[in-house]
Amino acid sequence: MRRALILFLMVLVLPATAHAGGAAFIINSAGASISVVDMATQQEVRRIPVLREPHHLVLSPDGKSLLVGDTAGNEMLFLDPATGAIQKRMPVADPYQLGFSPNGKVLTVAGLARNQIDVYDAASMKLLKRFPVVSTPSHIAYSPDSGAVYVTLQDSDRLIGIDLHKMEVLWNQPVGKTPAGVLWLNGKLLVADMGTDYVAQVEPATGKVMAKIQTGKGAHNLFLSPDHKILWVNNRAGGTTVSLDATTLKPIRSYAIPGGPDDIDFAPDGKLWITRRWAEKVAVLDPATGTYQTIAVGRSPHGLFLNPKAPTPVP
Amino acid sequence: MDDPLGLAAGWVQETLLIPLLYQLGLMRWEDVAFGWSLFAVYGACQVVITFAVCLPLERWRPVERWADSGAVWVDAIYTVISRVGALPLVTFVLFYRAQVALNGMLADEGWVPPTLERLFPFLLGQQTLTFILYAIILDCADYWRHWLAHQFRWWWALHSLHHAQRQMTFWSDDRNHILDDLIAFVWFGLIALLIGVPPLQFPLLILVLRFLESLSHANVRLSFGWLGERLLISPRFHRAHHGIRAAGQRSCNYGAVLPWWDMLMGTADFTRDYVPTGDPSGEEALATGSYWQQQSAGLRRFLRTFKTSTPGSAAPSP
Repeated sequence: MRRALILFLMVLVLPATAHAGGAAFIINSAGASISVVDMATQQEVRRIPVLREPHHLVLSPDGKSLLVGDTAGNEMLFLDPATGAIQKRMPVADPYQLGFSPNGKVLTVAGLARNQIDVYDAASMKLLKRFPVVSTPSHIAYSPDSGAVYVTLQDSDRLIGIDLHKMEVLWNQPVGKTPAGVLWLNGKLLVADMGTDYVAQVEPATGKVMAKIQTGKGAHNLFLSPDHKILWVNNRAGGTTVSLDATTLKPIRSYAIPGGPDDIDFAPDGKLWITRRWAEKVAVLDPATGTYQTIAVGRSPHGLFLNPKAPTPVP
Repeated sequence: MDDPLGLAAGWVQETLLIPLLYQLGLMRWEDVAFGWSLFAVYGACQVVITFAVCLPLERWRPVERWADSGAVWVDAIYTVISRVGALPLVTFVLFYRAQVALNGMLADEGWVPPTLERLFPFLLGQQTLTFILYAIILDCADYWRHWLAHQFRWWWALHSLHHAQRQMTFWSDDRNHILDDLIAFVWFGLIALLIGVPPLQFPLLILVLRFLESLSHANVRLSFGWLGERLLISPRFHRAHHGIRAAGQRSCNYGAVLPWWDMLMGTADFTRDYVPTGDPSGEEALATGSYWQQQSAGLRRFLRTFKTSTPGSAAPSP
């Protein structure tokens, strides 16, 4: 009887244990692969091969697919966000950076090599409009009402605003040297200017730079914490990750993250997972202590996605 | 899963290139810089390994001994430029970016450029097998490029710089006219378009192939035996291609790594043993000039072909 009771308890407990791990998907841009990492053990479990050169990934609005853009392969991969299984492949020209609008209606794809911004209908993946631009569109942000999309034009030092209702360009303004990451925050746009040591605060109606917030050399990308209280900025040349108060934009603390810090995702335990492009590592930063652990992945890790609810990945 | 060469490239990027690019206001080139540092680190590794293996071989059983081997050092400069310096950068900037842009344009028109992995999905994830297939196709393409370089008078004028060396060593693999190199880039760019060559995916294996190409130029009495020479090109086999009698249109043994294409097309010659190398028809600067003297002499010879003959006519028989 006692043995039966233990077995019964094990049946109850085991599935929960199997689902407790969570999976992280790390894109290895120069390795043509996606590392699948067990979030619990912080070990790479396996690699998903892709064709050529993936960079970024985004979760579909329904949460059922993880879209991965393979630029040189001209292919969009749709993965199961729980297991990493490939659901389908779709030919798409130069999908470098991708982002769904907040209302989930459109998908914007920035083609960095081809100098184009493509707006797709998210449901049908039909191309609604192509905007040829000058040049190298790299990062994407939306207005909260999904009425406009903003894309940095890295090599021409500009930011472009596009009206998604009229499907026309709102403005195209200089915002500082080599703009990369862009984020909508408190009614303003923030642009990380990689050729400088600051983040530019831009007025969304006009595209004019209103203020410059110093963060560190080579400000590259910026992310808002899940509780919307902290703005995180990665400084590419300085090798630092900086936290700022999301309301006042005052710096809080700087963390040394060498190896070209790039993208960030947030784990439920409050830690930040940061890709380090030239170190072939992911840093798992504990903001409270300032220490970080490293996870070895593939070459030039770039975009990443954490799925804490995914089952523990298997080799 | 350690990747020491990738990490070394990362170190070069973070410690040397990024501070320089940031100071010069050129951060837009940071991705290109990383591509170059990968090529350069692998190139430097190729040079070191080739040097470490080929030099003892050349000392052990040289085909020829020279009192003055000054011409060899110019070839060493070619090697460094080609594998570590500017050429990898040009390869990355021109070839790779152009490939992405062109493939994207075709994808836009509804035509997805084929790749071996799309044609044969089981290859995805089979890195070694995929690379071997790509290597075989590229080697075949290189055979034809090389054969054509010997057929057209204007192209031979450029390619003759490669053949002018009388003191051929493992350094001689990269002694090419810059326009000849450019043609090769375009040639492989077209092949890449047809089969989707992935240049950054197999750097270690590319290192092995480049080593074999250098070895085939070595000043060493080395044959791979009857069977071995029919599987892989040896220094003995490739030396016949560089022979004085073989310069120009009636050369033989055009292959770079595999002798199969020569055997199939009837251009293989396994009989010539360690012949003297060089091209008596070219001016002396092509053989013993400095880097720039060789480049100018090659350009002069190239331009002369348009004055003296109809472009496209065949290269002279020796």
